[in-house]
Amino acid sequence: MIKLEKLSKVFDTPGGGSVIAADQVSMEVPEGEICVLLGPSGCGKTTTLKMINGLIPKTSGKIWVAGQDTDKQDPVQLRRNIGYVIQQIGLFPNMTIEDNICVVPDLLGWDPKKARTRAGELLEMVNLDPNIFLKRFPKELSGGQQQRVGVIRALAADPPVLLMDEPFGAIDPINRAVIQDEFLKMQKEIRKTIAFVSHDIDEAIKMADKIAIFKDGILEQYDSPDDLLARPANDFISSFLGQDRTLKRLSLLKVHEVMHGDQVQVSAQDNLDKARSLMRDAGHKNIVMVGPRGRARGFLHLNDIADSSGRVEENYQGLPATLNINDDLRTAVSKMFRYDTTWLACVDDDGFFKGSITQRAISHALGATYRDQSQPQERALDTL
Amino acid sequence: MNKLAAMKQDRFRSRAAFVFGIILGAGLILGEQGYVGDIWRNYSEDIIYLTGQHLRLVFVSCALAIVVGVPIGILLSRSWMLKYSEAFLQAFNIGTTIPTLAILALSITFLGIGFVPAIFGLWAATLLPIVRNVFQGLLDVPDYLKESATGMGMTPGHILRSVELPNAMFVIFAGVRTAVAVNVGTVPLAFLIGGGGLGELIFTGIDLNEMQMLLAGVIPVALLSISADWLLATAQYWLIPRGVNPLRT
Repeated sequence: MIKLEKLSKVFDTPGGGSVIAADQVSMEVPEGEICVLLGPSGCGKTTTLKMINGLIPKTSGKIWVAGQDTDKQDPVQLRRNIGYVIQQIGLFPNMTIEDNICVVPDLLGWDPKKARTRAGELLEMVNLDPNIFLKRFPKELSGGQQQRVGVIRALAADPPVLLMDEPFGAIDPINRAVIQDEFLKMQKEIRKTIAFVSHDIDEAIKMADKIAIFKDGILEQYDSPDDLLARPANDFISSFLGQDRTLKRLSLLKVHEVMHGDQVQVSAQDNLDKARSLMRDAGHKNIVMVGPRGRARGFLHLNDIADSSGRVEENYQGLPATLNINDDLRTAVSKMFRYDTTWLACVDDDGFFKGSITQRAISHALGATYRDQSQPQERALDTL
Repeated sequence: MNKLAAMKQDRFRSRAAFVFGIILGAGLILGEQGYVGDIWRNYSEDIIYLTGQHLRLVFVSCALAIVVGVPIGILLSRSWMLKYSEAFLQAFNIGTTIPTLAILALSITFLGIGFVPAIFGLWAATLLPIVRNVFQGLLDVPDYLKESATGMGMTPGHILRSVELPNAMFVIFAGVRTAVAVNVGTVPLAFLIGGGGLGELIFTGIDLNEMQMLLAGVIPVALLSISADWLLATAQYWLIPRGVNPLRT
């Protein structure tokens, strides 16, 4: 959908020298995906983004947007078909929210009524009441509300491609997380192709289908967040991602991907012998007690019941905490630390028991990619 | 001029005008049978005729200054002009340091006496604040608004009309108000080069040491200045969109 081929930008400096802001960048953002351009300041990520809609003229190379060579298009027409969001939001203070949203539809010559109706629909998409907000001016909105309007303004004419330059950079951390979540939810429906500039690794990991890491104008690595964290291509990238990059992967993996789904469970009326034998067979140290319809109610620990007899309901302990199967591993680990435990029961949205997760399983899942990586080397040694 | 300073100045001006208006109104009512009443009875014909002339000078010179000053300000603010615009504005500045009386006198030398040189002199004195504020107002429009507008596919003409001018309008209006205040205050001098206006009563009154005649010129001039400023302030309040009008929150 967006394709860059050997795209370069050379700026002339006042002293007569020149700076290479982008050096032979080649990459492709597939339709419906979010690609985050990531890197330290001055790495060429913003320059690359702004070359796509021609705000910065390129020095050499090729750009295709929606299958069309941008050299063959009028830059003004091109920009009307590409949504653009900037960090400062850039809502026009002299126009109402309604007119702000309708800027591009009006430029494209849409029927004004149709455009205004769409403005109302878009406001509803980001949970702002059109009756209240359509006639307001930007200065009458909070920062977070303005940012939401900035995003839907870029969507107003339904462009297939969106360019976003640190769109959530100026918002406080709490609101930022909320808006990011809202945006991801929206993106699931609208499936735009998005190039997104950020300098925040955590934001990139959260938002991106693919991350492009830049340094000194060179595209160093272009990979999915998980692959990037598991297999950084060089020292710069691994140091940029941070010493704790393995921990960052925690937020990319969901509980249900890692948990033991074998659902070893007992009910309140079962006797302890049954519980013990189930634990032994499955190799677990704990077993979850479920209610009549399968909700997780409590648990037994193997050592606690080693010498006791009787029924489960007389011996069980309450669960300190449960995990939702859609939580990420970061939440899982955090809960484990908080309750000083190495395993947790996992439930679905209705509280039904679905499986259990252990610290061992988590570290195994995180380590798996590293083992994959070392295999080719071992094989190479074998052949020697 | 930044918006906050403009706002403060504006509040101060409105209050001062209000207080002055009350004093003047009270004076007029009290004077209906007395001194002021006498002035009106003796000079009403002159006052009406000369006020008409006076207003014509104000309107024509201000209109010309706006018609010329706004495009010049716009031109100077274009990015390809910025290298030279400071030099231009300095030239304008030097032009304003020449006393208006001197400009008026100077314009006699090539335009003769009468209405035309008076208009020219007033126009020249009024032009600078307008050009300066149009230029500064447009320059103050944040770059990210222009970037955003360009990125959305607006042409430079669109950006000027829909983004730059509306957002600079408050500062531009402040310039027009200053210009009109300067202009109205200077118009009495036009009499000296045969331009007519209420200056005729003032200067003749001074020459003849005729206090009533002097006041017959001075009071209308003062009233005109105040009402012109009040009119523009009201226009500024209502004409500038709420989103970019610091007076309306």
